[in-house]
Amino acid sequence: MTAAIATVVHAGTPENLPRFLHFIEATCARIEADADTKYALHLAMEEVCTNLIVHGYRGEAAGPIEVAVYDECEKVTIVIRDRAPPFDPVHAPSPDLTSDVEHRPAGGLGLYLVKKVMDEVDYVPDTPSGNVLTLVKRKS
Amino acid sequence: MEIELRLSGGITVVGIRGSVDGLTADDLMRTLSARVSEGAVRLVADCSALDYTSSAGLRSLLGAVKLARQHGGDLRLAAIQPPVLRVLDLSGFTGILKYYPDVEAAVVSFAEPA
Repeated sequence: MTAAIATVVHAGTPENLPRFLHFIEATCARIEADADTKYALHLAMEEVCTNLIVHGYRGEAAGPIEVAVYDECEKVTIVIRDRAPPFDPVHAPSPDLTSDVEHRPAGGLGLYLVKKVMDEVDYVPDTPSGNVLTLVKRKS
Repeated sequence: MEIELRLSGGITVVGIRGSVDGLTADDLMRTLSARVSEGAVRLVADCSALDYTSSAGLRSLLGAVKLARQHGGDLRLAAIQPPVLRVLDLSGFTGILKYYPDVEAAVVSFAEPA
């Protein structure tokens, strides 16, 4: 893979969520991402970082979330590293998509949407550099 | 995110501009909940200027629909932009919420028999 065109690292705290979102917005502008790619990358960044902040680190001496973006001819790759307890989004159970309004649970959609809008999702827990989530979006 | 409220034939039209995400979804839910608690239980969300939503936005929409229906009304969506509609469709929300091509159609729908 080519060198990352943009990287950021912040503590996995709620106050830093806007920083991660601004990072991906700026990066999408820099690489002139098309609308579909921009939406997918923004959604992926929000859902993954929110999950790490809320469920991974849970505000307890939050560790880092490191994000690197790689821009290639046909695809954009985001690599997200963290040191929270491992959670494999690839094999996470699918949410309830069929219950009516009254019985539909409010949560559980975030990572499911990431897997739907990104073309490839790969997760490797407990590497020397932390848990590594790799997301690939092929360009239109 | 910006929210603009107006009345149309007794229906509360909630214009949502910008993004409903983890940073703004709670504000949307608070606004909609307040309207329902004041008796405005028939609402239309004008989504023509809504350009992004995430699971947080979906949660607030679902919560508002549930609340409105519990009070004998509904929250219906109008003029949903394609990227947002795709997210609603992926989540199965297009099968449980009522949505229309424009605000007028959504407003008129409240006059139709259930």
